[in-house]
Amino acid sequence: MAFKDVIEKEPRRAYMLTNEAIVRAALEADVKVVSFYPGAPQTEIMDTFDRALAHFDYRMEVAANEKVALETVAGAAMVGQRSLTSMKSVGTNVAADALYSLAYTGVKGGCVCCIADDPYAHSSQSEQDGRWFGSTSYLPMLEPSDPVEAADMVKASFDLSEKYESLVLLRTTTRVNHQSGVVQLNPITRTPFEKLSWVENRRKYVTLGAIARAGKERVLEKMERIRNEVDLARFNRVEHFDGQELVIGKEAAAKTCKVGIITAGVGYSYALESLMRLGAAAKMLKIGVLNPLPEDVISTFLGTVDQVVVVEELSPYIENTVTALAKDANPACEIIGKRSGHFSEALEYNIPIVIGVLAQVTGKELPFDHQAHSEKLMKLAESLPQRLPVFCAGCPHRATFWSVRRALRKPDSVFFANDIGCYSMLSLEPIDWTDSLLCMGSSMGVAAGVQHSAQERAIVALGDSTFFHAALPGVVNAVHNQDDMTLIILHNSVTAMTGQQTHPAHPHRAGGMPGEQLDIGAVLEGLGVGKIVHIDSYADVKANIKACKEALDHEGVSAIISHGECALYHFRNYRHAGGKLVPFFVDKDICRKAYTCIRDFMCPAISIDPSDGKAQIAPELCVGCGVCSQLCGWKAIKSTATLQGGENKAYMELEDYHELQKVIQGKGKGKDNGNGKSKSKGKSKGKGSAKKGGDA
Amino acid sequence: MTGDTFDLIACGVGGQGVVLMCNAVGEACALADMKAISGEMHGLAQRSGSVFIHQRIGERALAPLVPYGEADVILALEPMEALRHLHYLAPGGLVITNTHLVHPPGETNALATKQAEGYIEYDTVMSTIREAGARVIEIDALELANRAGNALTENVVMVGALAASAGFPVAKEAMLEGVKAIVPPKAVAVNEKAFESGYAACRKAQ
Repeated sequence: MAFKDVIEKEPRRAYMLTNEAIVRAALEADVKVVSFYPGAPQTEIMDTFDRALAHFDYRMEVAANEKVALETVAGAAMVGQRSLTSMKSVGTNVAADALYSLAYTGVKGGCVCCIADDPYAHSSQSEQDGRWFGSTSYLPMLEPSDPVEAADMVKASFDLSEKYESLVLLRTTTRVNHQSGVVQLNPITRTPFEKLSWVENRRKYVTLGAIARAGKERVLEKMERIRNEVDLARFNRVEHFDGQELVIGKEAAAKTCKVGIITAGVGYSYALESLMRLGAAAKMLKIGVLNPLPEDVISTFLGTVDQVVVVEELSPYIENTVTALAKDANPACEIIGKRSGHFSEALEYNIPIVIGVLAQVTGKELPFDHQAHSEKLMKLAESLPQRLPVFCAGCPHRATFWSVRRALRKPDSVFFANDIGCYSMLSLEPIDWTDSLLCMGSSMGVAAGVQHSAQERAIVALGDSTFFHAALPGVVNAVHNQDDMTLIILHNSVTAMTGQQTHPAHPHRAGGMPGEQLDIGAVLEGLGVGKIVHIDSYADVKANIKACKEALDHEGVSAIISHGECALYHFRNYRHAGGKLVPFFVDKDICRKAYTCIRDFMCPAISIDPSDGKAQIAPELCVGCGVCSQLCGWKAIKSTATLQGGENKAYMELEDYHELQKVIQGKGKGKDNGNGKSKSKGKSKGKGSAKKGGDA
Repeated sequence: MTGDTFDLIACGVGGQGVVLMCNAVGEACALADMKAISGEMHGLAQRSGSVFIHQRIGERALAPLVPYGEADVILALEPMEALRHLHYLAPGGLVITNTHLVHPPGETNALATKQAEGYIEYDTVMSTIREAGARVIEIDALELANRAGNALTENVVMVGALAASAGFPVAKEAMLEGVKAIVPPKAVAVNEKAFESGYAACRKAQ
């Protein structure tokens, strides 16, 4: 298992995710302070550090946001400790203010910031290209192609950071972060954690006015020195493929070749594998240092080829420089890339895209028409129903929004400013309810503008983690300006969407250690929010609708705080503590096919039995939250506990479950043969779900 | 499918344990001293959404994504997902699928609101897959998992079936070790049973 390998002290071969390999390398590099905010595709870096904290001596924070995380590791590096943070593409926007200043102030201890872009926007709001952060901030930036190179570059980044007293950026993309491969582990030898003396290490980390102007001179000069850094030369590699054999290094550089390829990151693997499939000859320059780009190496390379294909996802970052350098290095060289129309700036690449262009350039025949094949077969799947992500079975958001939408009566009669979290899924069909969704915390500012401009009321949805991450200034702004809006705060205790990490309103901090748990209600009250109502997502829906109405009718800023732990998180803890899931079931004798449990609710555990058209609940999916039973006017949905003599209620807490156990045991002792019929049904259902272990 | 490369698309519904299937294969490759690489999906797509993972075994596998029309096997925990990703399968390639349909809540909602007449049927899905020229092995993974003692070992049943499929390059022993290495220690026995039952079912079906 990969985590076991991450903490394994001895050398060995291990199959691991790039994100895990990055952690492993940082541990090998004796990192001392780390801080993160989660976000795909880099969350596993934080999660792995969180688990490894029990095994190694370093300091870790789960930060309120990426800016705080970057500043935290910068502070550690100012004192002289090695430190690392990581953030998703758009998280870097939050941290960017600190990032640009840090380039001027520099650091002392090795300080590494991983930036994970997401071409194709698999789980992001834009296809942002984070490479520009490196060049526009004057910070060195490296980019690996796979887990092995990522590990190598993390270690090199720490050394580079200390040598040049500069923050170093490591840029990845989803297909590198979420790529697993076989990695050779090196031994871990760590020094004990010790606080250093600030007095002995003191120097100023200030940038402002005249100091900033002098700082700019320094960073420009520093980048020129880094351009010639010999330790980085190995990351910009020339290769030559003659159609059969690959040679690397000096031998390759000496070759002249009609076709050259310049590439970086995951694009390298697409390009090289495409060449191998075509049996085509080409010379390749694989760039690992994105900033400063190795201009001399590129120029020399351009002098040895007639055509150059630039393979890079997103913007023409490398291509622009190649084009500029070619003007002097080889004006006759034809540049094939985005400007020539061969590649797109949109979406991620793959072999079919890259091999198509390389076949054209090298004059080789395509061994297989991937695109035509794909289009033909994708047509067959058009009859399938869509399978979009939905709220999990037992998710508190489902119940919360069911009540909120009933309280509004006409949900489309308001402006719904949504935000980033699992609740973003409300924007998807068939619920399809969201008027705006920009970025973390943006719902507050958008609602402020809307309430000035639209006749309809503005409603805001905010997760608890998002609330602390970027929404607090928006709340302050709304209260001060006497704005008119209702906040729905989804207090599910964790940063759910990224894998249920802790946040400031969670009782634990990193590594499961106790932390100070902030009270969101008290925060809102302290900030002067006029009306605050609390609801329990799973409680009586009628009472919840009433409470929501009170908040929605309030003039000024009001808030509905909906309490209910993330179902994945809650029921995992419940099972680990010995609880067994007690699912609900549809009493077919009572069900009248009204489908109130399905319409606008859409729990993945509920479907329609094709044999009789009645609703049915999959016992292996139902977690027993019981909200659906409240929606049924016929009272056809009941807890399977009733089949064993228990109450018709949700069994979600350990105490409730123990109570049920007693009932079942007591019944078993008292009347041995009295419960045979009901027991068989209830028990077999309970059994299937009870063992939901770590294998799902 | 470039000579010595074995390409796999593993797919299913978020929550069924697709990632674990590929981790078992990857772990087995590491144990068997073989090169493996994958392009995975984590995060939002897991919330009962469609999940698929690219996995490639062999020295010449460099890219993390399987090209369209080149997968040797589609290993599906859910039949509709096999069809949804059929464009990755090589002509005449093999689909190993669980027989248990999981209807998305949106499909159920369409029925409840009379926007659709009925659910898509298993036979319709399978005949479309067959008509496309795929070879098919059907595994009742839910039944086998239940018999092994845990409904949630469906994914390991399917890993067992993959291990038994003709042309799969990793030895059965390594695959079983791969499974054992990544499941919780107390669940090793039930998962071993699940693996063996999937292996036997696939052998029988071939």
